[in-house]
Amino acid sequence: MADLFIPILIAFVLIFALIKGVDAYTAFVNGAKGALPLMASLMPFIIAMFVAVELFRNSGISAYLCNFLAPVFRFVGIPPEICELTLIRPFSSNAAYVLLRDIFARYGVDSYIGKCASVIMGSSDTIFYVSSIYFASTHVKKTLLTIPIALLCNVACAIIACFCCRFI
Amino acid sequence: MIISSLTMMAIFTPGAVVGTMMEASKMGVTMCIEFIGIYAVWMGIMQVMDDCKLSHKLSKILSKPVQYIFGKTDAETEKNICLNIASNIIGIGSAATPYGIKAMQGLDKGDKRATRAMIMLVVINSTGIQLLPTTVIGMRAMAGSVSPSCILWPTVVSTFIPTILGVLLVATIYRRRKNG
Repeated sequence: MADLFIPILIAFVLIFALIKGVDAYTAFVNGAKGALPLMASLMPFIIAMFVAVELFRNSGISAYLCNFLAPVFRFVGIPPEICELTLIRPFSSNAAYVLLRDIFARYGVDSYIGKCASVIMGSSDTIFYVSSIYFASTHVKKTLLTIPIALLCNVACAIIACFCCRFI
Repeated sequence: MIISSLTMMAIFTPGAVVGTMMEASKMGVTMCIEFIGIYAVWMGIMQVMDDCKLSHKLSKILSKPVQYIFGKTDAETEKNICLNIASNIIGIGSAATPYGIKAMQGLDKGDKRATRAMIMLVVINSTGIQLLPTTVIGMRAMAGSVSPSCILWPTVVSTFIPTILGVLLVATIYRRRKNG
């Protein structure tokens, strides 16, 4: 079912482009052109994050922290294996992608853990980054409850994600 | 984080430090190359959507609920909020951010305290109202999943419920404060 959605969506977009008289091929090429420069600008950050995350894990600090938090996570239905991902997600997308890739390699993409991790990754965002760039453009110094509310939503998101994954 | 990790490793496994760093950077490069492929395909498709003004269409549909949620704003700001949310839903994150920032500036009245509408916008943006988790699906496909997009409906559910929760929370907390 879900496998059909993306092909249908792409077909829909192409038909829509045809009706509107938009040159889909040129548009596609123009869009795809941006991928390399984008990646070139992101690459230093991704590598930095990769090194930081690997050091953090190999040092054992991360395992210690997760062992400490595992009972809480288990209580709300989040597998302890994705504890690290849930913790790092609000801070850095790149670091979270590093962990996601590692989870795929370690537990398998189609395992329950792999699916949960994918859903959490896809449905939440880097709260701290988003709120800092948004508020930086204004005069606001006091963000009041923005961060707590956003974090609470993120926790809810992780719990719902793990619950939903039981059915796929 | 890095300093504490380095200290720990220097005490327990000093020989592994450089090895770990090099191994990690190698994996980083591999991931970047995979990402170029994923991004190229999706950015291409998104450009097609963009050229068709799909996000503008969607933002027209969104304008009524936005008026309801955000209350009174000027026309320009409202348009920016709609475009921000619409781009987020389609998954053009890079297009969403400039609209979001413009909307924030439109909401900014020079006050030092964040207003209700500002908090609302940031909360909505940070729950990541994305319909298509394009990068994750791409990564799953590359990792050899039998069904890369099977995570679609759980993702949609677990992004919309927290978004609604966030909107309700902001609405109840800050409405009460305004009256009291």
